[in-house]
Amino acid sequence: MTNLFEGKNVIVQGITGAHGRFQTKAMLAAGTNIIAGTTPGKAGQEVEGVKVYDSIKDIQETQQIEISVIFVPAPYAKGAILEAIAANVPLIICITEGIPIHDMLVVNNALKASNSVLLGPNSPGALLPGINKLGIIPASMSLKGNAAIVSRSGTLTYETMAGLTDRGIGQKYVIGIGGDIIHGMGYKECLELFENDPEVNQIVLIGEIGGQDEIEAAAYIKQSVTTPVYAYITGHHAPAGVQLGHAGAILGNDNESAAAKSQALGEAGAHVASTMSELVQIVANTTTP
Amino acid sequence: MKLLEYEAKRLLESAGIPVPTSLLTEPSDILPTPLLLKSQVPAGGRGKAGGIIVVNTPEELKPAIDKLLNLAIKGFTPKTLLAEEKLNIKKEFYLSILIDRQSAGIKIFAHKNGGVEVEENTNFKSWSINDKKRAEQIGQELADYYEVPDQTFVLQDLIENLYDCFIKNDATLIEINPLILTEENNLIAGDCKMTLDDAAAFRHDWNFEEKPAEANFVTIDPDGNTATIANGAGLAMATVDAAYEAGLKPANFLDIGGGANEATLLKAFKRIVEYKNLQAIIINIFAGITRADEVAKAIVSAKKQIKDLPPLFIRLAGTNYEAAEKILTENNVALLPDLEATLLAAKEVIHD
Repeated sequence: MTNLFEGKNVIVQGITGAHGRFQTKAMLAAGTNIIAGTTPGKAGQEVEGVKVYDSIKDIQETQQIEISVIFVPAPYAKGAILEAIAANVPLIICITEGIPIHDMLVVNNALKASNSVLLGPNSPGALLPGINKLGIIPASMSLKGNAAIVSRSGTLTYETMAGLTDRGIGQKYVIGIGGDIIHGMGYKECLELFENDPEVNQIVLIGEIGGQDEIEAAAYIKQSVTTPVYAYITGHHAPAGVQLGHAGAILGNDNESAAAKSQALGEAGAHVASTMSELVQIVANTTTP
Repeated sequence: MKLLEYEAKRLLESAGIPVPTSLLTEPSDILPTPLLLKSQVPAGGRGKAGGIIVVNTPEELKPAIDKLLNLAIKGFTPKTLLAEEKLNIKKEFYLSILIDRQSAGIKIFAHKNGGVEVEENTNFKSWSINDKKRAEQIGQELADYYEVPDQTFVLQDLIENLYDCFIKNDATLIEINPLILTEENNLIAGDCKMTLDDAAAFRHDWNFEEKPAEANFVTIDPDGNTATIANGAGLAMATVDAAYEAGLKPANFLDIGGGANEATLLKAFKRIVEYKNLQAIIINIFAGITRADEVAKAIVSAKKQIKDLPPLFIRLAGTNYEAAEKILTENNVALLPDLEATLLAAKEVIHD
């Protein structure tokens, strides 16, 4: 199986915007092979030496695309994702925050009828230290190695990654699946990727209140994951029915709570921490350098 | 964003879904009786709290209006009252359409027993609907389920219009409860709850009484002794968790977001100092997109501008940490090495 995240031909949609420009520079600095970018009406321009096209189709006339990273603003993000799906881009990573839910329903239906995989939206993207930086996860705080991190939260991803790096524990994958209600890849797909990669020797899963994704992840861990899993669920003291930052972080039923999710993960065999620092500590304690 | 009943019913009506004849009242309005006078508050359990009055004669109207305008329901006093025709009820059903997180699609839920006790119901009937074409079949099955076969065409129309209304308004929930079947055999939306997606505000001309709920600043305990400031939703939640674990009483959840600057932080400080038992402020920033030196400058500026600021306990890490450390040290602001040390130090100053 080819690993989508190790694809070499990367494009940036929305490359001429402020975020697109800044992050293109950072991705190039981390060694990502960005072959082109798009912004409708801006063909012929260059951003950090990367050629800008009007559309993905125009790029595909001469080059093959393996990954697209999207920084297009929320009102136009649906169109950008649909364009990437229509162009059969294998891996689409959407960083954009604040996309309307109904737009994501349309995207989700198009995804089901395609072979494309979506990560995000409202995601920091993915970082494979030394291999690929696909999004906004700061490469300077990472270290190449064999751990794999998956999270719904950007800052907790960075925090965990930096904590592991400080203790000399490197990472093969650092992936943010995004904080929205309707999203692409979930924990399960990431766990599957990690479990099937012989280089990965430990998995760190960070979850939060709201939804059932972590409960489903627990069921998958129990059934199919043999790599050790370390987990932390944030929002233990969240009031019910109130949105905490992320669109998806609303505590509805009891089974969406941090306690219920921690319990399910524990029963599935994961090592569950009750705070962030404990999480990094238990990973470090069981790692033999 | 949650709409009030009269706002939701206006959207239903413009989608072609029958609602009772109604007027919004001012105390001077004269309306035909009998009628229902309903308090427009963003809270459930309104009927049980006395927020709906049956007005039988014109003489009863004025006292009923005065009563409702002064009746607080779960802390909310209404700005608006809705006066509606009193329907002759034969049956009450439940009907809703919502975004279903698990299937990442739209679902319709129904129950043949509608009304205030609907939460006690089990075995709701549900259908996935990701296309208007499904309305015909769902309407047919709904007529069978509600046991009103003569309403099949009406229900098919209703589902189609409900789906249109849901899509057109970027709704995440429309709940019609009860859906009333009158003695005259009309199906009418007796009450309606509607929630719209705040993220879609850019493409609508929304002007409702309730404003979007603020997701980034949430009070957890107004009597808490410790305020928290963090960046990123996850880190902000984790900071609250850790503060509880350390034995502090966090007053709030606050995510200042990516790229936070001096203005953002000053605004946050000004809101936080309103908590009456506040004795410590925890700042936990992991700078990714945000730059730690910007945060440091904002902290220094806040200390100068806000009088009687409780002691700050600060943990900073990430992008431009060295520059931040320099700024804070020059201004005699202490930095703590990690969140644990920060919480422990805060605990020292708490005295209750």
